Amino acid sequence: MTEFKDEPKNAAPVKCSKCQATIKGTAVCDFCKSLNPAAASLDFFSLLGLPVVFDIDPAELRRRYLNLSRHAHPDFHVHDSQEVQSLHLQVSSSLNEAYQTLLDPASRAAYLLERLGGKSSADDKSVPDGFLGTMMMMQEEVHEAVDAGQAEELLRLREVLQTQLEGLVRRIGELFQQHQEAVICQAVTTDILNEIRKQVNAVSYVKKLLDMTR
Amino acid sequence: MSKLLILGIDLGTTNSLAAVFKPGGPVVIEDAAGQALVPSVIAFSEDSKSPAGGEDATLKITVGSEARAHAVENPTATVFSVKRLIGKTIDDVREDLSVLPYAIVAGPKNLACVNINGHIRTPQELSAIILGEIRDRAEAILGRKVTEAVVTVPAYFDDAQRQATREAGRLAGLDVRRIVNEPTAAALAYGLDRKKEEIIAVYDFGGGTFDVSILQVSGGVFQVLSTNGDTRLGGDDLDREIINLVTGEIRQRFGEELAFPPATRQALRNLAEAVKIKLSSEDHAAIAIDLGNGRSFERTITVEEFESLAGRWVDHTIEHCIRAMDDAGLTSADIAEVVMVGGSTRIPLVRRRVAEVFGREPYTAIDPDRVVALGAAVQAGILAGASRETLLLDVTPLSMGIETLGGAMGKLIMRNSTIPCSAAETFTTYVDGQTSVDINILQGERELAKDCRELGRFQLRNIPPMPAGAPRVKVTFVIDANGILNVSARETRSGREATVQVTPAYGLTKDDIDTMVKDSYTHAIEDMTQHRLIDVRNEVNRVLVAIDKALVNAGDILTDQQRETLDAAVADCRAKQESCEDPDELYASMKAANDAAAPLTQAQMDAVLSQAFKGRAMEDLGPQISKDEE
Repeated sequence: MTEFKDEPKNAAPVKCSKCQATIKGTAVCDFCKSLNPAAASLDFFSLLGLPVVFDIDPAELRRRYLNLSRHAHPDFHVHDSQEVQSLHLQVSSSLNEAYQTLLDPASRAAYLLERLGGKSSADDKSVPDGFLGTMMMMQEEVHEAVDAGQAEELLRLREVLQTQLEGLVRRIGELFQQHQEAVICQAVTTDILNEIRKQVNAVSYVKKLLDMTR
Repeated sequence: MSKLLILGIDLGTTNSLAAVFKPGGPVVIEDAAGQALVPSVIAFSEDSKSPAGGEDATLKITVGSEARAHAVENPTATVFSVKRLIGKTIDDVREDLSVLPYAIVAGPKNLACVNINGHIRTPQELSAIILGEIRDRAEAILGRKVTEAVVTVPAYFDDAQRQATREAGRLAGLDVRRIVNEPTAAALAYGLDRKKEEIIAVYDFGGGTFDVSILQVSGGVFQVLSTNGDTRLGGDDLDREIINLVTGEIRQRFGEELAFPPATRQALRNLAEAVKIKLSSEDHAAIAIDLGNGRSFERTITVEEFESLAGRWVDHTIEHCIRAMDDAGLTSADIAEVVMVGGSTRIPLVRRRVAEVFGREPYTAIDPDRVVALGAAVQAGILAGASRETLLLDVTPLSMGIETLGGAMGKLIMRNSTIPCSAAETFTTYVDGQTSVDINILQGERELAKDCRELGRFQLRNIPPMPAGAPRVKVTFVIDANGILNVSARETRSGREATVQVTPAYGLTKDDIDTMVKDSYTHAIEDMTQHRLIDVRNEVNRVLVAIDKALVNAGDILTDQQRETLDAAVADCRAKQESCEDPDELYASMKAANDAAAPLTQAQMDAVLSQAFKGRAMEDLGPQISKDEE
């Protein structure tokens, strides 16, 4: 997915266009429940009203996404002014992207990593030690199975890759936990973030291979 | 009913119909005789009896059953399956050319158009005629003006096809408030009253298109997880198999040189359709064709034969089902129900294969011809503000991207992304002082730009002159809730809006449409009254025939007073039918007769309902029997 967001502007509170109350980094106004005119530029966690952590409850994520969608979805504003419609179109599309990004642990990790100031995948392409070797072997096996049309072998490989993916995501969870503790202790977090970058990069490799098994 | 009325229209390849959202739920619009389906067929004929008279004979346009009935006599001026052409180029529809009896020609931008006796008509104009007819009927039955609509399209329609459908609405004078995907609409109608959280599949096999969508349905939320399909795979293809079988054998027996003139091709089409329908309930169908000159062709087609011909098409639909499940990350075990939509799902082979792939018997309790229109009405209800509890989250069926260096497709929005969605890309210049940049927008899943559908060339203009590489033009692509792409651009260094000139590769520009709308207005003003009079007279004829029929069937249920009122109203209407020159007056008279016949219609409907639903549990009936009155 192409990154196109402007820098999140959570810090700057805006005035509600309807009731003039101050909205601080939430998608809807606390008082009159109308949409924050700057909602589309909120970061995904703030937009959905979630704490900026890796470990989120998928059910809570979905509940918030659906509730906010009822405010923002263009279906409910087809007879409003062009300006209002355009705002709802923007916010609704941000909500959809935010939900999809945070729902999948791998994309959530990548998003959170950059949100916390980690390097982007373009700046740091490294992967954990020994990972590339394993992947080369797997890739060869997948290619062979695809070329020979071995459905059962592909199914087996998919399971192996799936297990690998789950392992990486677990590891990423632990690292984010360590990062949080380090922040509390005001310790240096650069190494942890760099390690997360490697694991997240590894996840992209595994996902690409998984796609090839389909 | 709310003040705002938005009509839900299922604009089908074979049939079209409308429904409205009433407080009790969606209701299909039926005429006095209980007919809801209008065949998507248009016939053009020189009207010798035109009220304008003699030398100034106008072109008469008929839509629906009447047009369909005369298709064989008038094959080159009877148009059907327009939906197969809409938003496509002549190259896209090559395969259809030999089967369709009317003439398809390349119009502007190589668009597939129809040539009727020398008049070139775009699929948009033709679809507009159907939409207009549906609207007119709805207005006559509802007794109020309709200016807004929700129109359904196959989920797998691309941007050009969606745009073209919206243009058709505009040409018909309808403000199309939303384009809704057909399988999604079906799910809305199916799941409106269901509280349970479940994942359903909608298998929509229509006359000309196939879609499958997987949805998560819970407490009024309808979230599409994935969709797949083929916009040129439908019941028409099965008909074509039968036609090919028959024509092949006829040629074998009577000589290869035997030609099939348009009238014969049209007759063969009707025959093939009849055979297909018969084989849905019986194990064989007999064919007899009189070829003239004492030659005749007779044959029996068995179900086995038909299934071996239809098999590969049905197999394609099954492949799409598997892909849709894959894309949603699900297996058949996760699917709680498979809802069947579209006339082709009546074919036993289709039901068997669907049952196999999903591992469960498909759900067939709702009328596959009406469920999409009902869903469109539900969506219309949401838009009109009548139903705030229902939330529909649909997806875009195809990835959208731009042509990158070397002719590759650079995807910006992936298929199955929830809509609305957006993406942005920054462009720059290659030459000092360059003020415009061309971008080619693509839709499709293939890696190379040439294999994808070109949506249009977008030209960024008014970029401030700067050294090469300095300008940063951020182009934002938004796919709205209709699944239609919108583009905007901004030069971020200077903060200036760059103008985006959109030149659609297919379809018409906004100016084209404006001209067409203006033209149709000019003509409309000239002969609106006369046309309306003809329309109302036709309508009167239909209503009177329906009342006569109802009187024979259920006349005895009327009280003496009811009968007296009805007879008086009918007599008045009959007297005015030919003599009255004021469409409004004639319409009022017709409405009076129609109203007086209401007890009859109700009695007939009750009889039909109790017949149709005998032995079925109430909860299986779905929303179409909701009898709420305003």
